[in-house]
Amino acid sequence: MPTPEVHHLFHNPIADHSFSPDKSTLAVARDSNVELYQKSGNKFSLTDELKGHEKIVTGVDIAPNSGRIVTCSQDRNAYVWERTPSGWKPTLVLLRINRAATFVRWSPSEQKFAVGSGARVIAVCYFEEENDWWISKHLKKPIRSTITTLAWHPNSVLLAAGSTDSHARVFSSFIKGVDTRPEPSAWGERLPFNTICGEFLNDSAGWIHGVSFSPSGNALAFTGHDSSITVVYPSAPEQPPRAMLNVTTRLLPFNSLIWNGENEIIAAGHDCEPYRFGGDESGWQLTGTIENKTGPGAGSAREESALHMFRQMDLKGQTQADTQLKSTHQNTISTVRVYEETNGVLSKFSTSGVDGRVVVWTI
Amino acid sequence: MSTSLRPYLQCVRSSLSAALAISNFASQTSERHNVPEIEAASSPELLLNPLVISRNYDERTFIEPSVNSVRVSLKVKQADEIEHILVHKFARFLTQRADAFLILRRKPVEGYDISFLITNFHTEAMLKHKIVDFVIEFMEEVDKEISEMKLFLNARARFVAESFLTPFD
Amino acid sequence: MSQLNYRTINIDVLDPDSSINFPMDTLLPATLPPPTTSSAAASVASEVRQLLRGGDPEGALRHVLDTAPLGGDDRAKEVHLAAVTEVLQGIRQGEMSRVLEGVCTGDGGAERADCLMKYLYKGMASPVSGAGGAQSPRKSVSPQGTGFSQIQGRNLGEGGGGQQMSVLLSWHEKLVELVGTGSIVRVMTDRRTV
Repeated sequence: MPTPEVHHLFHNPIADHSFSPDKSTLAVARDSNVELYQKSGNKFSLTDELKGHEKIVTGVDIAPNSGRIVTCSQDRNAYVWERTPSGWKPTLVLLRINRAATFVRWSPSEQKFAVGSGARVIAVCYFEEENDWWISKHLKKPIRSTITTLAWHPNSVLLAAGSTDSHARVFSSFIKGVDTRPEPSAWGERLPFNTICGEFLNDSAGWIHGVSFSPSGNALAFTGHDSSITVVYPSAPEQPPRAMLNVTTRLLPFNSLIWNGENEIIAAGHDCEPYRFGGDESGWQLTGTIENKTGPGAGSAREESALHMFRQMDLKGQTQADTQLKSTHQNTISTVRVYEETNGVLSKFSTSGVDGRVVVWTI
Repeated sequence: MSTSLRPYLQCVRSSLSAALAISNFASQTSERHNVPEIEAASSPELLLNPLVISRNYDERTFIEPSVNSVRVSLKVKQADEIEHILVHKFARFLTQRADAFLILRRKPVEGYDISFLITNFHTEAMLKHKIVDFVIEFMEEVDKEISEMKLFLNARARFVAESFLTPFD
Repeated sequence: MSQLNYRTINIDVLDPDSSINFPMDTLLPATLPPPTTSSAAASVASEVRQLLRGGDPEGALRHVLDTAPLGGDDRAKEVHLAAVTEVLQGIRQGEMSRVLEGVCTGDGGAERADCLMKYLYKGMASPVSGAGGAQSPRKSVSPQGTGFSQIQGRNLGEGGGGQQMSVLLSWHEKLVELVGTGSIVRVMTDRRTV
């Protein structure tokens, strides 16, 4: 396995990151700003800052085709940034929420985006031509707590959401005039706005940190604070799912997960390294870690000079400073994203974490 | 040291590393706030089941986890009144200097001697396993310190008593 | 009424929609077993005792964890906790690893491991909740017991309950080795308490 591409940008947590489709631009959320990095050679250097938010930015997403950037923050606002000759121009989105915005993602059609919030609503936002602004419609029922994560179905109508009330739900976000009527699927046939197509709870509960639809959209995976991942295969509208498979692990909780084809899931979180899960409708299991432990962390356990060793013993009472983890990421991984794929099968994915690193992994 | 200290500390270590899986979380009760949920306690679903680890009735650790903060409280063994006074004074000395300790809480949780409050901002700035190390080391050190102080006090009391009670020549 | 200080009323509690009134029972899965009574728990305890006496500690532990009263009332839970503690104390140190491996593998092994982890923490917490008597003896020490004695080192004397705790602690250590910290995380998140 080739060694991962590590970009250590700064020493602050990265709440979210997003690459432009040509992978030359990287947007990361740092404190109350979004920083844009441009690739030069094999390094990323800071070129632009999107300033406007007043509190910690929690989500950033670059639309692959239009190149628009949407950001959201704990100051309850979301902005859509467009590139103009004189720099990036923000447009305020009327979210109508009174608590922090926690997560944002463009729909695959790029007509809409969804913002999760602590106000127990999901704002589905779309552009209104006549008024020239972004307005939102709220998905409300039956959310009982903060929305932590969102994921779009490939048809741009279904939206999966995870919440701290320990439920993962699938909603319809169909907006007349914006969306085309979706093909009926196992999730539902007629899908007016705010239809609940599924509501799932693990036995051991736990806040949901990550949700993801499989590339075909016919399965949903979610991960929660109970260190497990759950895969749901729906059967038919209004019916209990065909299979709901829960894999408990011996690791710390995962924060984010993505699919690799229909039979593999990659998840990462508080253990600071990505793991793979494999399986199908009959069962899933943890198949191993992606990191090969001969990475930079393990390499630093090399022999050191005797002087250094004695100095360590003198100062700290230990022979070796264990201030470095063996993994590439040195702190919790917060986001896992698809980097390069063909027909749903990944060849590369990227992770970002609290340690200020963005890492591109090759599978 | 007693044989059961090691498993006790081991248990505290593994429980703490499990509890320290915390992340940034804005308050859902007050607008534009970001507070440690374990202290605010305004939403029951954001608090997890608390854990108690005890070595015996007099020595225990209480871990209260939540979505963005963990409160760890220690009860230090106090076998008699002298130890009780020493622990009280020692804890007071530390909590008055809580600023320097970053994660020390200014006031212990009811029923405990010393409390720590670890938030997501601490785990972002510091290595998680080092925070755990610090708490464990602290537990060992407090025990040692109290023992030492007690011996010291005893020795001094003995000296004072001797010089007082020496009969006049 | 005039005594009532309206400024001290927490008005959020009165609003059924406020987040402090989160319906915690929505976190319980639909698969929760029906409540068991304390007499049912007592009969399980006697069955388990029989298994233990019959020289089948693994079967005893397996049985007692499978019948955990996740939906029971407090009394049933207490009786069951006593049964679990009895089994754990009845298994010798040398046998622990072997028994654990047997119990925590196979069908439903992961659930049993999580359940055992819950009982270990509950076992350690129980003297605290039922404290009262645990601390009072120390408070009533006679004036003579002022601590001016150097005969006893501080850490030699086990406090009350030290024996039981050290059994639980060594089980905990073995269990974490086997099923990892994930199990501890699930003890915290799982609202189906034992």
